[in-house]
Amino acid sequence: MSTLVTVLRLPRGPDPNGRGFDPNSTRFVALCPTTISASTETWTDSVEVGEEQRARSALRESFLRTLIAMTNKQVQFHMYERVEVEAKFGASDIDVLNFQVSELQTPIGVQKEALLRAKHRKMLLMTVYDADDPPIELPTDD
Amino acid sequence: MAMRQTPLTCSGHTRPVVDLAFSGITPYGYFLISACKDGKPMLRQGDTGDWIGTFLGHKGAVWGATLNNEATKAATAAADFTAKVWDAVTGDEVLTLAHKHIVKSVNFTQDSSCLLTGGNDKIIRIYDLNKPEAEPQEITGHTSAIKKALWCNNDTQILSAADDKTVRLWDRNSTEVVKQLSFDMSVSSMEYIPDGEVLVITYGKTIAFYNALSLDMIKTVDAPASIHSASLHPDKDFFVAGGDDFKLYKFDYGTKEELESYKGHFGPVHCVRFSPDGELYASGSEDGTLRLWQTAVGKTYGLWKCVLPGEFSWFGWQACPCPIAH
Repeated sequence: MSTLVTVLRLPRGPDPNGRGFDPNSTRFVALCPTTISASTETWTDSVEVGEEQRARSALRESFLRTLIAMTNKQVQFHMYERVEVEAKFGASDIDVLNFQVSELQTPIGVQKEALLRAKHRKMLLMTVYDADDPPIELPTDD
Repeated sequence: MAMRQTPLTCSGHTRPVVDLAFSGITPYGYFLISACKDGKPMLRQGDTGDWIGTFLGHKGAVWGATLNNEATKAATAAADFTAKVWDAVTGDEVLTLAHKHIVKSVNFTQDSSCLLTGGNDKIIRIYDLNKPEAEPQEITGHTSAIKKALWCNNDTQILSAADDKTVRLWDRNSTEVVKQLSFDMSVSSMEYIPDGEVLVITYGKTIAFYNALSLDMIKTVDAPASIHSASLHPDKDFFVAGGDDFKLYKFDYGTKEELESYKGHFGPVHCVRFSPDGELYASGSEDGTLRLWQTAVGKTYGLWKCVLPGEFSWFGWQACPCPIAH
């Protein structure tokens, strides 16, 4: 009679909420020095590193607040090939790869719900406006 | 007391797994990348199968995937006509290399400075990753889609297998064919073992072993079913193969004797590879899963635990959800 080999647990599966590559893993921390110029050469100047980290945190927070402020607002997407579409902004996914929008007005009709790929977001400009305020132009991430 | 193999199932992909590759052994262990028709290649810890991350960006089925030795870079080949290079620590896309047709195969040189690609446009390309904007070196000659292109002989030569039923050995500098093998049918897979310069080729029900420098045949072994992929153990004592009948076969390399066969997958096996330390082998299947199999069944390694007769184990049964699969 043979017995099955014992296993301690099953292999861990993907996280449904993100793409992984945990920045707190030993390997990530060891192999990914910060991209901040002041701190790539040496870690001895901790004051400078701290300041730059605070600046980065502030920028990240500002970006997230921008996304929150845009929720349910009319947004105009300026895309490649001079395509411009309007929609009601819903949300961004965690990696800012896709934007969820509603009532997307396209040259061939209105799409009730849609996902817009943000892959080329460097070229993507969104104009956010509502009825009471004049339009302001907000650059996207980076 | 005989031990029965308990494969570890790695789920997460939603379509067939068509290619997989291990890295070398790094200070953080070794890693495994899987290519899947769902377009989302995944990185896993090699000895446990634990998911580390998913490389997001391809817009079509991913046909080929590879890691560099240090597992710091990954490369993928896809049906969206691109090959991509990734930072395998952060998961970020580093480079997109546009092609004119589906890309099927990617392979780094030992020092990760160059990337070899091959696919349905029948051209082998060499990209200098230090000068990615430069035009790649092109090697033409195949008359059908290229399935696999691999660096060999200390990255001075290239081996390629294509649907034109040939395997060709090219000189990297002259881009000329050095030697060629012709078959009656398409080669389904190819593996290159630098240590010992062995080439493992599968076609039909045959697993064939060649000297990678001379392309002289060493031996051939026939399996009970059509084989899609095979892998030779680093110590060259065993090889494993899988294909149409969903099973994994283990053979003695010296005697060519079939030693074991394992059921487990619910679809044809598309790819199988030994880990760099030879302790396990991974298989990818049409059923969308990867499975890890022990080379020495019953040994304590990774998530497998050797339980001696009479020992009580907490863990044994919670981890085995599908006994009928064994």
